[in-house]
Amino acid sequence: MNVIAAVNVEALVIFTIVLSATLVITYWASKRMTGADAFWAAGRSITGFQNGLAISGDYLSAASFLGIAGLIFIFGFDGFLYSVGFLVAFLTVMFLLAERMRNAGKYTIADVLSFRLRERPARVAAAMGTLTVAAFYLIAQMVGAGVLIQALVGIDFSIAVVITGACMLCYVIFGGMLATTWVQIIKAVLLMTGILVMSIFVLERVGFNPIELFNRAEANTTDESTFSLGPGTFLSSPIDTVSLGIALVLGTAGLPHILMRFFTVPDSRAARSSVVWAIFIIGGFYVLTTFIGFGARALLGEGGVAAAGTGGNLAAPNLAQFLGGGEGTFGGDLFLAVIAAVAFATILAVVAGLVLSASGAVAHDLWSNVIRKGRESEHEEVLVARIAAAAIGAIAIVIAIIGGSGLNVSFMVGLAFAVAASANFPALLLALTWRRFNTAGAVTGVLFGVVSSIALVIISPKVWPGPDAEGGALSFYDLANPGIVSIPMGFIGCWLGTMLSKEHGNERQFAELHVRSETGLGAEKGGALEREREPELVAR
Amino acid sequence: MSSPDPRIDWEAVEQSPEFKELIAKRKSFVLPATIFFLSWYIGFILLAGYAPDFMARSVYEGLTVGYCIALTQFVMVAVLGLMYLRRSDRVFDPLAQKVKQHARGTTAPESPSAGSPADGGPSREEVPR
Repeated sequence: MNVIAAVNVEALVIFTIVLSATLVITYWASKRMTGADAFWAAGRSITGFQNGLAISGDYLSAASFLGIAGLIFIFGFDGFLYSVGFLVAFLTVMFLLAERMRNAGKYTIADVLSFRLRERPARVAAAMGTLTVAAFYLIAQMVGAGVLIQALVGIDFSIAVVITGACMLCYVIFGGMLATTWVQIIKAVLLMTGILVMSIFVLERVGFNPIELFNRAEANTTDESTFSLGPGTFLSSPIDTVSLGIALVLGTAGLPHILMRFFTVPDSRAARSSVVWAIFIIGGFYVLTTFIGFGARALLGEGGVAAAGTGGNLAAPNLAQFLGGGEGTFGGDLFLAVIAAVAFATILAVVAGLVLSASGAVAHDLWSNVIRKGRESEHEEVLVARIAAAAIGAIAIVIAIIGGSGLNVSFMVGLAFAVAASANFPALLLALTWRRFNTAGAVTGVLFGVVSSIALVIISPKVWPGPDAEGGALSFYDLANPGIVSIPMGFIGCWLGTMLSKEHGNERQFAELHVRSETGLGAEKGGALEREREPELVAR
Repeated sequence: MSSPDPRIDWEAVEQSPEFKELIAKRKSFVLPATIFFLSWYIGFILLAGYAPDFMARSVYEGLTVGYCIALTQFVMVAVLGLMYLRRSDRVFDPLAQKVKQHARGTTAPESPSAGSPADGGPSREEVPR
């Protein structure tokens, strides 16, 4: 069907335009690259609205766009459950972390932990949490990019992965956070425009009556369909649904590339307003996704399921082609190409954010503060960050190519959220709020969180199926999503480590962290780019 | 970073009535709001997991109970977000400002070079809009 064997010319042209635009931005940003503040925090000069767009661009991965539209197309309501979790998560971020992170941190999650805990163990633990999350998420996105580009443009999987990786590295290495931010902003604008236009096309077919859309979607099923307007088709085990829901709502507050975005704004007020902008953009996006998903079901029907590929990932592009006039027409091919380019931009923006946060963990946390113990220059730190980014990117490219399209993307994204919710979130929250918390608590908490979520996934039926097809090898454990066990494990780890160690005496630092995180007194100053010697280069 | 700023007595600021008021006021909003949104969300997830038939029930033609409750989550996120923004601008930010002014007022004489925007210096706390 739509899985084109030859190279799709329209798609190639539009891809090239998008790529060129992002590379021009990278060049512009590289001229403003003045130091570590510029590299990791865009000089703290991004406004609240810009950051809201950039958070949306950083957050809405291909799994959100193609994945959720595809899940709704194939399974119906259950796909929408993901959207709700992904969105409500921003309340957790806003109420518990956004402003405190901005006030207390500098470039990484570890900055906040090491503020009051013993520097080296705290940084190692935080870097471990960050790198684990970034690794799973990054590889998932790279595989997704390869599969998509292969299907939509006709370029071979391995080459597609290399192109994606090369662009991502270009943004990060030469343009740092400034280039990454603007790539994310452009992507958010493209994505919102694309999905809005598509939704209008879909709604136009049903006389702008969404209820008619649901009815037609429901009518367009056969006996073999898994589609339903109610829950329980994709997430068939209730306890698994709950476990996934909790991991989604707490996991976002532990995603390093999202938390890092709060360091790019001038103050906590901008951090706060950027979350609200993000809530409105992301919320609007997820409502529109339902029109795409249910629209694909209503218009493409059961016949479109095979063409939509694994997990229905190609449902949205196929729907675009249908809306444009169908396969083989100019309108159809053009709309398909545009949506494919939007999906590509989506992936680029997310992977750039991930590599940047991972480079922070390696260069700022492990290299500068653990290995060199803060004796090195800022210049060296940025150099190491660039080398680290190149290495991380190269490893991700190689793993994505070796793992190939067989790696399950949504499974790895789910794992990333589980680790983020179980390892990063408890340690961060307790460091900011619990006076008694100490270094041993943070280290055991992160360890418990990482180990329990990965171990539980390994023994889950998805990875380690039992002799019979039903259930896993371990009859007592059949959760696919570890959150409901691993998140409490993370908190228990923090508590146990704290209580069992005799370490005390960071009361004074807690007082400073407490005052600083709540009021912004002594926080990193904003608008660093504006203090540069060349006033005409002020980033606007 | 982990070395405390010597010019500010953080423990005194933490014990000051202004700071305590800020924490109390913020807590009185954030705690109930967090409990509310988590309960409403987890309630939704529990219903989706354990009462699929109820969630699949039709409210009006193809519009299901589940979809309607999901939409209320969107409304809840938007309303709580805007409420928090408003409360912060009107209550929390002015209080935080007071804490900062107070802290600076007591430590300014000890500052080695008054007016220099070094860490914690006077000019750095102005909130750019």
